[in-house]
Amino acid sequence: MKTAATEVKNRSRRSLSKADRFTLSAFVGIPTFLQIILLWVPAVVTIILSFTYWNGVRLSDIKWAGLSNYRNIFFDNPIFYEALKNNALWLLWFIVIATPLGILLAYQIDRQIKGHKIYESIYYLPVVLSLAVIGIIWNFMLQPGGFVQGLMGRDIGNAISIWGNDSINTYVILGVASWRHIGYIMLLYLSGLKSVDPALREAAAMDGATEWQIFRKIILPTMQPVNIIIIVITLIESLRAFDLVYIIYGSPTIFPLLNLLVFQNFAGQGISMKGAAYAVILLLLCIVPIITYLRVVFKEDLK
Amino acid sequence: MSEDKNVFSRRTVLKGAAIGGLGLAAGGSLLTSCGSDKVTGDVKWTTRGGGDTGDAIAKSVNDAYTAKTGNKVIAQQVNSDDFQNNFVQIMQGTPDDAFGWMAGWRTNARADLGLLADVSDQISDLGGALSDAAVKGATNPADGKQYIIPTTYYPWGLHYRKSMVKDLGLDPEAINTWDDFVKLMTLTKKKGLVAYSMGAKGGWEAMGTFDILNARVNGYQFHIDLLNGKEKWTDAKTQETFKYFAELVPFMNTNFMDISWDGCRDLLLQKKAGAMMMGSWFANDFKASSQADYDDLWIVPFPEINPAYGIDTIDAPLDGISVAANGNNVEGGKDLAKFWGSKEGIEAAIAGGDTSIYVSKDFDTSGYDAFNKQKLNVLGAAKNIMFFADRDSRGDFAGPILGPALQNFLKNPKDVNKILENTQAQWDALPAL
Repeated sequence: MKTAATEVKNRSRRSLSKADRFTLSAFVGIPTFLQIILLWVPAVVTIILSFTYWNGVRLSDIKWAGLSNYRNIFFDNPIFYEALKNNALWLLWFIVIATPLGILLAYQIDRQIKGHKIYESIYYLPVVLSLAVIGIIWNFMLQPGGFVQGLMGRDIGNAISIWGNDSINTYVILGVASWRHIGYIMLLYLSGLKSVDPALREAAAMDGATEWQIFRKIILPTMQPVNIIIIVITLIESLRAFDLVYIIYGSPTIFPLLNLLVFQNFAGQGISMKGAAYAVILLLLCIVPIITYLRVVFKEDLK
Repeated sequence: MSEDKNVFSRRTVLKGAAIGGLGLAAGGSLLTSCGSDKVTGDVKWTTRGGGDTGDAIAKSVNDAYTAKTGNKVIAQQVNSDDFQNNFVQIMQGTPDDAFGWMAGWRTNARADLGLLADVSDQISDLGGALSDAAVKGATNPADGKQYIIPTTYYPWGLHYRKSMVKDLGLDPEAINTWDDFVKLMTLTKKKGLVAYSMGAKGGWEAMGTFDILNARVNGYQFHIDLLNGKEKWTDAKTQETFKYFAELVPFMNTNFMDISWDGCRDLLLQKKAGAMMMGSWFANDFKASSQADYDDLWIVPFPEINPAYGIDTIDAPLDGISVAANGNNVEGGKDLAKFWGSKEGIEAAIAGGDTSIYVSKDFDTSGYDAFNKQKLNVLGAAKNIMFFADRDSRGDFAGPILGPALQNFLKNPKDVNKILENTQAQWDALPAL
């Protein structure tokens, strides 16, 4: 960000020393180079491969497949729609429940209610853990033979089906994912709230606005940039969901998600370019929020 | 690539071995000794999983090899699943020369890609020690050569506890027909126990039940043809198999989507389940629990369904030693692999704590306990050996397509026709190999 701004100056002023110019081009060049090699090239190759048949070994084996991989996914693969449904549910849950809860918590804590420091630490704690670790913890608690089942006096034979029960597992998984997401959003929002001028709130309160009115009419609009970032983060987190579910199930088939399908078809023993096609579909679904995110960030910088 | 370079010399040797084999049926040792004279240099070895026991067995065999040939063996152990899933990548890098591996699609498909070295010579060196069935099982149908030296196998069968069957008033040694089996399950269920334990969390476990049902109903050839696209999933014969499968579902534990094979093992160990269709590798855990538990464990072939096929087929995944084509010391790897398959190698492995069943005729089974002898009986009852669906079929079908199809079937047995139609559609969409 800084480098982009300096580069503009660089062009207008030619008085930079050689060393300066070298440093600047290194700062811009090295990350750009790495981005192109590590991100753009593989992305483009993946897009191309999604139109081929290949088992990932000999380049000479690559065969043109046209749209077959996509046709296969869209017309013959019910698991794709299950994954799409799960990703959509994940997104909906995060947007409607988890993210607003995080914002609400941040708002309450920002008002310095009694014991707010303790609440803050408690809510924030799960964010320190990676989703993989969270998966291990909750699997240990809820699986047959696990801690919670044991507390209820149930062993493997009569354990309540949780992870394998289609009617509840979605909500259990989303609950576990929210456990972390809420704290994450809370922290982001809290740091945004700290920069809101308290005078605004006081003035509104003096004019007789209720708490809800203050939040809706004063805080939310002033927090607009943070709001957008949070929405985009929520979108991306929902679409890229993978680790939690992979750790709990070890296979992508009981609770399919797009990322699990990419992994299953692209890695491991069943390498096929259907995985590449899944990846491209996921890329397209992600790209809209990512572009929005970048535009907001850059607009901020230009100001 | 490095394969091509050696083809000629090896063919010549092979011819020599074949001619020699005519008169040297019992004299394989002559060839063995002149083979190992030439091979020198350090050999790298990968043990595929097995923890401390795996390391101990590998050390015992590799040390014996070093003592015999003077060639040092540098061994490492890898996580079995990781090795399996990244196999193609590992083989394209600088892999260890020899490693424990699995016969079937996983060997043949990778051999076709030039990743594994041809060990046909070593197999003919071992001569008559290997059973014909084992060599046949290790042969790549694409070129008629072998890329794995078969060493061990284990049966998939119906496991139960003798004491529990006795309590039900049935003869534990005589669960032979489908009717016997249904009777066993019905009585078990009446007692409030799980009659047929199923774990389907991983997606592969239910393939064991599917394999055997299909082989019992439609025979070995139909099953293998089905897994290789020569028969249809929508065929009335396949539907018939799933009718029997659907009959089993009410006897299963309801939380099958929550547990895997180890959950099933615990159910049987805790006497909460009657029957368990599984590979008998888990028997070691019974022994670890207590000798009484182990003595109570029994295995029988899955009962007969269609008299035309009897109990002539079994899932008995064949394991062995393969040699990487891209290793630093390919000849050394082959020599080590051969040693693992030889009498001395087997003896060293057993001394190192191995309880596997070897395919070699040099393998002495007289000291076997009752359960292991019964495993041999179960294996011996079968004429045709399947390797398990994920080794008998292609990798982009078994895991990503068949696994979820079976899970969906277990969840909604009534949707069977829809599921089978979809499975066929997905097979049809696979690229030609």
